[in-house]
Amino acid sequence: MKEVRSQKSEVRIFLSVFCILYSVFCILTFAYAKVYIDITSPALRKLPVSFIPAGQAEAKEITEIVRNDFDFTGMFSPVDANIPGAEVKISIEAAVSGQKVTASVAVMDLLENTEILKGKYTAEKTSLRLLSHHISNEIFKAITGQNGIFRTRLSYIANISGKKELHLMDWDGHNDRDIGSRGLIVSHNWSSGGDYLTYSSERNKEWGIYLLTLANYKETFLFSSRELNLAGGFSPSGSIVFSSSRDGSPEIYTMNSDGSNVKKLTRSIGIDVSPAFSPDGSQIAFVSDRGGTPQIYLMNSDGSGIRRITFEGNYNTSPSWSPDGKWIAYVGRKEGLNQIFIVNTDTGDAGQLTDKGNNESPSFSPDGMFIALDSDREGAKGIYIIHIKGGWQKRITPKGMRAATPRWSPYLK
Amino acid sequence: MKKFLILLLVVVAFGCAKKYVKPAEEAPKPAKVEEARPQDAKKDVMAGEKVAPMAAEAKKEPMTLPKETVSVKEEAVFKDVLFDFDKYDIKADARAALDSAASWLKKNSAVKILVEGHCDERGTNEYNLALGEKRAKAAKDYLTSQGVSASRINTITYGEEKPLCTEQNEGCYQRNRRAHFVIAK
Repeated sequence: MKEVRSQKSEVRIFLSVFCILYSVFCILTFAYAKVYIDITSPALRKLPVSFIPAGQAEAKEITEIVRNDFDFTGMFSPVDANIPGAEVKISIEAAVSGQKVTASVAVMDLLENTEILKGKYTAEKTSLRLLSHHISNEIFKAITGQNGIFRTRLSYIANISGKKELHLMDWDGHNDRDIGSRGLIVSHNWSSGGDYLTYSSERNKEWGIYLLTLANYKETFLFSSRELNLAGGFSPSGSIVFSSSRDGSPEIYTMNSDGSNVKKLTRSIGIDVSPAFSPDGSQIAFVSDRGGTPQIYLMNSDGSGIRRITFEGNYNTSPSWSPDGKWIAYVGRKEGLNQIFIVNTDTGDAGQLTDKGNNESPSFSPDGMFIALDSDREGAKGIYIIHIKGGWQKRITPKGMRAATPRWSPYLK
Repeated sequence: MKKFLILLLVVVAFGCAKKYVKPAEEAPKPAKVEEARPQDAKKDVMAGEKVAPMAAEAKKEPMTLPKETVSVKEEAVFKDVLFDFDKYDIKADARAALDSAASWLKKNSAVKILVEGHCDERGTNEYNLALGEKRAKAAKDYLTSQGVSASRINTITYGEEKPLCTEQNEGCYQRNRRAHFVIAK
């Protein structure tokens, strides 16, 4: 109970920060004309950036978080402010008044000597990380023209000395907390607005599907049967796709987000499982062993037009859509290990993204640039973020902590 | 978005995909299944259950049940049914154990059981839950085909969520790929 209460108060803080951030203090001057980094370019050049804190102690802390955010993307190289070479200078000055911190941010293009961004952001002192990630988003947008993912979060299953808990953390691994440990929880998924999670939980020897409202951590029961029922993702309009064996074998179904209007979409004697709506809601990817081995299939959202899209290997599961709907990341078994692959849903082009240890549970970031996954490459299974263009990978859960099945949130308000 | 450097390489590397998993998974199986048994016996000794001489292994009802078993006497009748990787068909060598379980259930007609389906950690979580369900149901179907009423048998899957052991070797993987029987109270 204690835990629930502290989570609620955190929500309140969150909301007040949100209001303040968007209040009169935000004076922004964007210069969109120039794109400093084309993040879609295959040959990504790291942009050299210097970070300069000024004013009260909080400036250093904010600057450090912003600097880590930028470093974390693999698109920027932080350089010492005293050494020439930076092309962009980010100055952050902090002033504390009572319980509030105001950060004044200035971003300069050093090559053309022009100001890219100037803004003031205020938040509670206790929400410095949130404030800093918000500042990162503003700077990132000014530099790249794209939305930053610095305020997104990941849900995942933490294994704390044998007990499995549903956790939520910031995209950089900070601010981690337990948001559910009532029964065994599997197959969690974000709603497209980021307000809800669905998951399946085993209680009294039954797998039920539940909805968790993130604003107050209230859980609502949606669906159950005596057989296996596994939650899938949401459509943009709020339908939930799931698998259920209530008629004997696991098949794909859809229902409304209140559990009503259950519709059966597939009929096969084998396994149909792990359904996921495409970002536009028009298609559903799922796993089926109807061809003899588990493979990824697509169908229209009414269950028509079933077609197989993976053909290499004998074990392909866990499909996850890219935000533009063009790619599906999945787990493929190769040489006895599980690896992350991607396949283009139109052309069938496929690529392998990992090659060390076992890598499972891919989930795209909302900007499509990163994939979160779990991997045992360093021993105990942990959560990693990789860049889809390869090369860059980072573990975000503490070493030694057993963590699996990350699901990346959409952009959060 | 189009130019993923590794794409073509992978497509080429995958050319002979059909061949690689099957032989590797299935060829060594018979030998490895044998390996699993002595480990079972050892584990039980370590777990503090009745210290039986190794000869006990050869007996009809080895004590291979985990510690949480409520009534060992009754449940010793039910040996775990083991499966091959990514398979849910009952293997020929599992039939004798299921047959004796079926005849015991027919003699003790008041008893209801729960069949748990489990998987090894190598598959992916959700698919393993579905696979575990298929395994539990395959065991249930076998028992009902031997004349046990289906209404006495419930099933549940735990996929790879509740492994018996966590070592990363075939002996442990085989122990985890199982249908496990629990007497319903």
